[in-house]
Amino acid sequence: MTRTPYWAAFTDGIRRTMAAPAELAVRIGFFAVILVVFSSLWRAATQANGGMIQGYGYRELLWYVIAAEGCVIATKPRLIEEIGDDIGSGDIAIDMLRPVSVVGFRMAAEMGEAVVRLVCALSLGAVFGLVSVGAPPSLEGLLAALPAALLAVGCNLTMQYSFAAAAFWVEDAKSTWFLYQKLIFLLGGMLLPLELLPGWLAGIARLLPFWTTAYVPARLMSGHAEWHLLIVQLGWLIVLVAAALAAFRAGERRLVVTGG
Amino acid sequence: MAAIEVTNLVKRFATKGRGRRSLVEAVSGITFSVEDGERLAYIGPNGAGKSTSIKMLTGILRPTEGHATVLGYIPWSERRKLVRHIGTLFGQRSQLWAQLTARQTFWLLARIYRLDDRDAARRIEELGELLEATTLFDVPVKSLSLGQRMRCELTASQLHSPRVLFLDEPTIGLDLVAKQRFREMIVRLNEERNTTVFLTSHDVSDIEYVARRVIVINHGRIIYDDDVSSMRRSLLRTKLLEVRFEEAPRALSIDSVEVLKHSGLGYKLVVHTNQRSIRSVLDELLDDYSVADISVLDPPLEEIITEIYEAPQR
Repeated sequence: MTRTPYWAAFTDGIRRTMAAPAELAVRIGFFAVILVVFSSLWRAATQANGGMIQGYGYRELLWYVIAAEGCVIATKPRLIEEIGDDIGSGDIAIDMLRPVSVVGFRMAAEMGEAVVRLVCALSLGAVFGLVSVGAPPSLEGLLAALPAALLAVGCNLTMQYSFAAAAFWVEDAKSTWFLYQKLIFLLGGMLLPLELLPGWLAGIARLLPFWTTAYVPARLMSGHAEWHLLIVQLGWLIVLVAAALAAFRAGERRLVVTGG
Repeated sequence: MAAIEVTNLVKRFATKGRGRRSLVEAVSGITFSVEDGERLAYIGPNGAGKSTSIKMLTGILRPTEGHATVLGYIPWSERRKLVRHIGTLFGQRSQLWAQLTARQTFWLLARIYRLDDRDAARRIEELGELLEATTLFDVPVKSLSLGQRMRCELTASQLHSPRVLFLDEPTIGLDLVAKQRFREMIVRLNEERNTTVFLTSHDVSDIEYVARRVIVINHGRIIYDDDVSSMRRSLLRTKLLEVRFEEAPRALSIDSVEVLKHSGLGYKLVVHTNQRSIRSVLDELLDDYSVADISVLDPPLEEIITEIYEAPQR
């Protein structure tokens, strides 16, 4: 029996990430620093607000941060730039010479890499959370948060591919990673729960796909077993995959590669 | 049967200069066909349209006008089907994963081409022996020298037994020994597996050793298409004579002959064969001078190709 190319790319991504432990350690080390900083911040903020902010106590907020930051740190921060470079330089042509979907194969490999980082980040986060504030607020929330974390990584990757596809049309599209990152910070709920944003901004954030990448798993992890959020995530994932595939299909038709 | 059929293929690129968009025609209506098992050199100066042609034939670029088939497939609309049957090797772009060993890359490619495990293992071993590269397969790709990497690239391009092999400047950057070895491998693949070879290169020796037929493209148009041996014959307007005299000639003056260089009794002469036959020059030399040894040579292929490039465009 032969494995499908996409499964092979996924497992190869896992193997490649495990084969570079130093790189993994640096990223997880950075995650640990973020946890320490945010735990101090939220402790001070909740204490200053009588122990609760918009329904979140310190314990809920710490588990929120662990899930939100863990999901975002699992994906490459500048993937858009990397893909944009490959499109701009014409290196994407090598991928096009293989009998597989360019986006599908690359995303499978990225997903493999991200899964390793996600498992490491969430494991470290779990230890940090257990030691700092005890178990997550709800077992049901935790159970919902685990598949949501995988979906969050998938949504993040596909959204980055959709953004990066702009490089087929616009010369400097790769620099959109900077804008994308800020959108994840704010509208994705990575820095703070959407409930803490002004009502109109939170309303906008809920209409856009960014909240699927951090807010959804973090909201679930913080004890809010809102299972319908998984359906929202899945729906967005389908839309984003379709968008990335369509953008690449259109982009490949107008690819410009000159020289050798 | 033709492996490649090209009819009036045109490619224009939009370029921006001083805020104005303009169109540049990289390929201007080329037509040719390549038979199954042929070894073709597709050559031309920088910017002639070679790489653009190869990218259209492999389905990476869509032409602006015209038609082409490779193994019966239209490359740009049936790319995913076509690439199962062709191999590609770009001298300036690697298809190997730098973080993996070559063998790990081959296995990933085996999955991509959905090869059976047993077939894949057998192919990797066979190609390792054929291309004398087995010892390189377990070294991380990033640690291989350019010459070693190119042997692994060639293995990767052959894993799925392609019927047509597109090579875009495959020997660029290789040293002389590695270049020669690489050329021998291409010829071996063609002879043993009847793989059609479509080669672009700036290196005249690649053409001499690998190709039987040559197409010259310049300014997007085909300006020459013939056998390598016919090209030599039809374009030769000069012959080189290497002569050793028994005693130094006082003054060497022969009509339509120039002295290229001389040292001691040895002379290198150029005969303009469009003005006078080589035979009459040889007769005059043998009659009027005391010749110890003489040999007649063709000028290097490089000169012939330069002559084609520099010929006025029709």
